[in-house]
Amino acid sequence: MRQLRMLWARVRGQALQAREDDVLDEEIRQHIALLESRYMAQGMRVQDAARAARRQFGNVTALKERQRAQRGILSPGEWWRDVRFGMRMLAKRPISSAAVVLALALGIGLNSAVFTFVNALLLRPPQGVSGTNKLVEVWLHNPKASGVEAYLPFDYPDYVYYRDHTNSLEGLMAFDGDGEDAIWNHGGTGEILHAHFVSGNLFSLLGLKAVAGRMLSTDDDSIDAPRQVVVLSYPFWKQKLSGNRDVIGKTLMLDGKAFTVVGVAPASFTGLMVGTDPDFWAPLTAMLRFHPDDQNRFTDRDTSWLIVAGKMRQAGGSKSVQAEMQVLAKQVYLERGSKGNFQNALVFPLTMVPGPLRVYVGAFAGGLLLVFVLVLVIACTNAASLLLARATGRAREMATRSALGAGRARLVRQMLVESLLLAGIAGAAGVGIAWVTSRMLMVLKPGNIPISLSIPMDWRVVLFTAAISVAAGVVFGLAPALRASAVRAAVVLKDDSPAGSPKKSRLRSTLVVAQMAVCVVLLAGAALCVRSLLNANAINAGFDTHHIALATLDPGALGYTPAKIDDFYARLLNRVEHLPGVDSASYAQFLPLGTAHSVTFVGSRLDKDPNATMADVFRVEPGFFRTMGIPLRGRDLTQTEADADTPNAVLINETLAQRMWPGENPIGKHFALGGEKAMSEVIGVVKNGKYRTLGEAPAAAVFRGQLSPARTLVVRTAGDSRTLLSEIHREVPTVDPLMAATDVQTIEQYMALPLFPARTVGWLLGVSGILAVVMTAIGLFGVVAYMVSQRTHEIGVRMALGARRSDVMKMVMGQGLRLTMIGLGIGLTAALGASRLLSPLLYGIGANDPVTMTVVAIGLATISLTACYLPARKAMNVDPSVALRYE
Amino acid sequence: MGEGKSEVLQGTLDLMVLKTLYAMGPLHGFGIARRIEQISDGVLDLNEGTVYTALLRLQQQGWIASKWGTSENNRKARFYSITRQGAKQLERETENWERVAGVMDRVLKLERQG
Repeated sequence: MRQLRMLWARVRGQALQAREDDVLDEEIRQHIALLESRYMAQGMRVQDAARAARRQFGNVTALKERQRAQRGILSPGEWWRDVRFGMRMLAKRPISSAAVVLALALGIGLNSAVFTFVNALLLRPPQGVSGTNKLVEVWLHNPKASGVEAYLPFDYPDYVYYRDHTNSLEGLMAFDGDGEDAIWNHGGTGEILHAHFVSGNLFSLLGLKAVAGRMLSTDDDSIDAPRQVVVLSYPFWKQKLSGNRDVIGKTLMLDGKAFTVVGVAPASFTGLMVGTDPDFWAPLTAMLRFHPDDQNRFTDRDTSWLIVAGKMRQAGGSKSVQAEMQVLAKQVYLERGSKGNFQNALVFPLTMVPGPLRVYVGAFAGGLLLVFVLVLVIACTNAASLLLARATGRAREMATRSALGAGRARLVRQMLVESLLLAGIAGAAGVGIAWVTSRMLMVLKPGNIPISLSIPMDWRVVLFTAAISVAAGVVFGLAPALRASAVRAAVVLKDDSPAGSPKKSRLRSTLVVAQMAVCVVLLAGAALCVRSLLNANAINAGFDTHHIALATLDPGALGYTPAKIDDFYARLLNRVEHLPGVDSASYAQFLPLGTAHSVTFVGSRLDKDPNATMADVFRVEPGFFRTMGIPLRGRDLTQTEADADTPNAVLINETLAQRMWPGENPIGKHFALGGEKAMSEVIGVVKNGKYRTLGEAPAAAVFRGQLSPARTLVVRTAGDSRTLLSEIHREVPTVDPLMAATDVQTIEQYMALPLFPARTVGWLLGVSGILAVVMTAIGLFGVVAYMVSQRTHEIGVRMALGARRSDVMKMVMGQGLRLTMIGLGIGLTAALGASRLLSPLLYGIGANDPVTMTVVAIGLATISLTACYLPARKAMNVDPSVALRYE
Repeated sequence: MGEGKSEVLQGTLDLMVLKTLYAMGPLHGFGIARRIEQISDGVLDLNEGTVYTALLRLQQQGWIASKWGTSENNRKARFYSITRQGAKQLERETENWERVAGVMDRVLKLERQG
């Protein structure tokens, strides 16, 4: 502790140097003046008094020097000299310095890019909100379950109970975690808006002030008399209503009902959760107006739909809040009697990702960081290797310095200043690289994941970057610095031979081996992922992934009767089928490989069948299989069959057919679908496809009719499906001016979602792998080239004594390849272990795929051969007479 | 240098300065030097400049603090005073000194044997 304080005092002294010098001068002058006047009072003459005073005081110059040395850790001049000298040393070999800086900058930048996301998702509190240190999230938790499944959002009655009984919280707010789409009817057209339903107290608890009008209040959100009012988001107000203040008090027609605009939210506020990017906010209870059929949402204790957040009375009180929530949880449980399980209530700090899900984001980011730290390690070994080589070349300089009285600490400092300089430049460049990379990562995200995320480079990112830069600088600089400073001046200065001691080159060789090993691990992972990505792209999803356009529609929100809905869909289909270039069109409730799934039991009889098996269920209209390009045996559904109330006629896939009637013709067979009152007849068998993930094993599936109001339109064209998108957009309001289509996209865009995990990991690992190979090649090249330059003399002697050029070549290459082989061996062993972690992400390829491993090994060996060959050729061309004279 | 004077023992100046400030309250550099001179009765050969080195050292340890004030000749001067930590340190150092001095005393009193 005391050392720290002394250090601080010295550092601070540095800054105050000039002022302190003046003060000390003044103190000395006064002191001597006082001594003088005392001597004169004793009757001395002026000159004698002055001399006596000076003698008594001692050597002023020496004192000043001493004070300065004591005050500052080094004088500013000296410090600046170190930096300037370091700059000169780096500039002396600009290309290798630049290579090292670039490698480090990439390593640092990639890590910072990942951290940018961690920061945006997990660390940064929601923006535009005041008192963020007091905000917490509350989740219900089933102690009997485990993992994310155990966490539940609140149901409305429970929320009200907690809200009305809490003391430790200033207030408890709630919002619908899913958000809603609402159709905005204006000027005879319909437009899809994103709505967010929030409790009336939310805005006041968050301290948000309206830009115009007012925000929502608790009065708007009364369960008995919810008001049909909305607060507009700033971007929506600016873009769609041209920022007109007159809209306050006017009404918007939303889902066919009139809502009054009461205010506009501040621009900085985008919600409390990632992906909630609403166009407007409405009171929670006004949801009844949007979903008149969903009345029991507010009374049902089994409908969990509310994300709940609270504002603590004082910051840092989350322990007492947690204690109180537990008490409330017990009270709720007792009040409910024995109905249902006990549900605890757990408190989390509020960030943009809901508490229970943070583990996943953390794990994903952790995985990425692991990969990128490996890249950084390789970059660091390169830098260490370079500095070691320079340190060896500077042994004489170090020896001279130490002979002139520089302590070891002084030498280490000089070397560390140089490595920190390298790291500092790299860190600054790394921030730029992180900025670019994080935006590139956002591009990888498929467009149909409805998440908008701002990824700012705030102080946390800069701090993180600075920290890893300094850490990297110390890590790669310390060993060379300690090595360089451990000079025995007498030995080095006396001995005139080039100062490459075998110990130093052994350290460099170790570094190369380590680098090679890390590189193998990274490259093996990258190769596996890229191969699996190629496999995944080639995987037959079971339907055509080209020439198809999609759109989702939901006339149900407009409160139409079933007949009117059927009429709308029939007319739309008719128009779309007659668009130029369209081969066929149909509807499905939802498509395979999306986010929605439905599962049912399939058995041989209607009552409980012990041999019942599970199957995915897809609801489709006639023409779906033709449009999606799914091969079919038997026949398709007719419109009458699809519209019927019961699934009398269904299609199944090959897997289900094989499971139910192995070796028989399934067409014409009957079976029972879970929950149905009549048996279903198999009228056709379709080819197997992928239904949930591309990597899944063949799964059973049933295709039936009876679609709900929300549907996906599928359109097949002979040409480019992109040209269809705008036409579909146009056709929908032509058929019904109140309707609008959402998610109008090509099938290729749709497939971005199932391909997302493999694609992202494949890209990231691919890039890391390439970086690793390049850096490793440079590192190996550097070591071998250095070795050759150190042994020029020896090679000259050998050649003078009759060694052939090929012998020299063999000798140099041999040394480089030995390092490569050791590195490859260690790396492959490690890769076999590490790749097992990847296996859940791999499609159609084993984690220890021998072909991949072999290719990686051979590829790396070839690259190292090249890296060794260039310096070896130089060695081979050594002219003995020159080499011998040179020494 | 004057005859019959003793050099300041290595490391004892800090203790002297500390004790002086403890006993006398806030003083400037000149005042401290005078006080030490007075107590030592002219026996100590003090290079008065070294007082300032001691003051800086003590200040960096946090054992004394300095404040601006006005000196006897009506000029602005830095006044040094002991801190609480300094007082504690003084206690420790005093004990230590007494122990060492005791040992020295006993060693020097050893009679010639045999």
